[in-house]
Amino acid sequence: MSTAYTVGLLVAVAGLIIGFMAIVRERDDLHRILLTDLAEVLALVLIALVATDLAEALILPGLVVGISELMAVSEVYIAKEGLQKPHIEPAFHIEVMDSAPGILALILVAYGIVLSGFTGGAVAAVGAVFYFMCRDHAEQFELIETVSGYAWVIWIAAFFIFMFLPQYWLFAVMMAGGAILLKVMAKMSLVGTMRGGSNV
Amino acid sequence: MFNLPTGNIGGQELFVLEFGDIVNYFSPYTAALFVFALIFTVLAIVSRPERQVDIAFGGDAYGAKEVSIDLMRFQRFMAIACGLATLGAMVSGDVFNFTLFASLVGITNIGIVAAYRNRHVLNAAFQYGIVAMLATVPLFGGAAIILASTGTLSMWELFADGVAVPIIAKAFLVLGVMGEGMAPFYVAKAEITRAQGAPFILMVHVSSLLLFLRVIEIVISM
Amino acid sequence: MKPNRSVITRISETISRLENLTTLYAFFFVVIAVLGLVTLPFITYHDDQLYPKTIDPNSSLNPYDRGGVPFGTTPVKAQYPENSPYVGYVTTYLTPLSHWLADHTLHIGTTIVAHPGGIIDEILYNTRGLDTVVETSILFVAFAIASYLFRRDN
Repeated sequence: MSTAYTVGLLVAVAGLIIGFMAIVRERDDLHRILLTDLAEVLALVLIALVATDLAEALILPGLVVGISELMAVSEVYIAKEGLQKPHIEPAFHIEVMDSAPGILALILVAYGIVLSGFTGGAVAAVGAVFYFMCRDHAEQFELIETVSGYAWVIWIAAFFIFMFLPQYWLFAVMMAGGAILLKVMAKMSLVGTMRGGSNV
Repeated sequence: MFNLPTGNIGGQELFVLEFGDIVNYFSPYTAALFVFALIFTVLAIVSRPERQVDIAFGGDAYGAKEVSIDLMRFQRFMAIACGLATLGAMVSGDVFNFTLFASLVGITNIGIVAAYRNRHVLNAAFQYGIVAMLATVPLFGGAAIILASTGTLSMWELFADGVAVPIIAKAFLVLGVMGEGMAPFYVAKAEITRAQGAPFILMVHVSSLLLFLRVIEIVISM
Repeated sequence: MKPNRSVITRISETISRLENLTTLYAFFFVVIAVLGLVTLPFITYHDDQLYPKTIDPNSSLNPYDRGGVPFGTTPVKAQYPENSPYVGYVTTYLTPLSHWLADHTLHIGTTIVAHPGGIIDEILYNTRGLDTVVETSILFVAFAIASYLFRRDN
């Protein structure tokens, strides 16, 4: 066990050195973002090397911190460079793109709610992303922000129930499970939709 | 049952706050930092943004830059969040929890400066954002190495005499906090202070200073 | 471009350029990591870990089966079990749907993060709940920054 850990540690730190050397040499801002994201994966490797349930639980916060910082920093990059989404006609337009999104998104979101938890959020998010891809999504975006805020509040409430009223643990688990559904869904719905531009 | 193993760095604990495995503590040292952070958070809540005055060179004309309500509200929100994150980091009794609070401080710092339209300031925010992202690597890496080599993350256990924490983990923690708070990069920070909105910008400095003081306490006690 | 600039001038000129900040930080990291590489073989894995992983290939909850009675006390190797009087309740809990799946298939364990309950939830929500609160706050703040910048011009 100990040897395996040492070897893993050496490999991970060697990988980190290579990754950070690349960042030292890189001059382009966009590539720096990408390399930074790569380096963060290696931090998760260091946590995963511990190989306990605790490590598995710690990977989730680590991952989320990386993703959310990436989101904020890339938005700063877009603002900094003044990038605009070009106004081009969609490549093709067919009838099914008008009718399908609503139905499919509904099915996926409903299924996600049944699953609940992390995977449920991902499934529901696929529905939302599909909807946004086919439709204009200016006003829905505000909705996602509101949902994300509520998810945060529910989560905090669940935490306080766990800490101060532990006998209601089942209620708190359900609240947290629902909140993670909303949170993951809100997060994943943003993939590829948050671009610069006038009214996007 | 709780007894701080080292009394010589932060003094004995005054008050203990239990959240399951994470047991926060107030020693004279951390309580002092906590009060300091609290004062500045309150200042950020009650203060109004400064308005920079531009003076036209060679004439009497001058004009004050207006700070829009939206920008002010956003910055105040970020400054308060930054203050709360600093408060959390000051009293945290768990290494991983501390690193998370440090990341929160880092991202709120970016938020405070990212709100401007000035390209220079945005560029500064972006570069700091990259450094803050990079800094999560040594922070989490350091915490992970501590967990693997000692079997615990709680500072209550780590501060005990018999527990040897690897030197590289300590170095990683300090390096990570340097990146999140950007403490040693004050030279380049002038770029940020060029931005308007003094009380909120101040929060960036206060949080990084306090965070650094706290990580030094942790590293020495371990 | 004066030819006789001192070393210190050149160094301060380099580090005063904001674009070099990332380079500088990454360089610091590389230096510390290379120096630390020597000490790595001396780091030994502590065998008595919290929340150890146990694997029981015959269970339908395979990688996540931690035993215990649902709605009863289950021993969980937490740091301070005395701080969480109901520790173990979440670990053993299965939603009715998951319970049905666990009875009929062998694959529920691979989707343990898909339903409320289980050891990961126990750690994330209960014993180390504050971590998750901070993590969500980070996400929330990042979201606020991104959406502020995104919608500023509307």
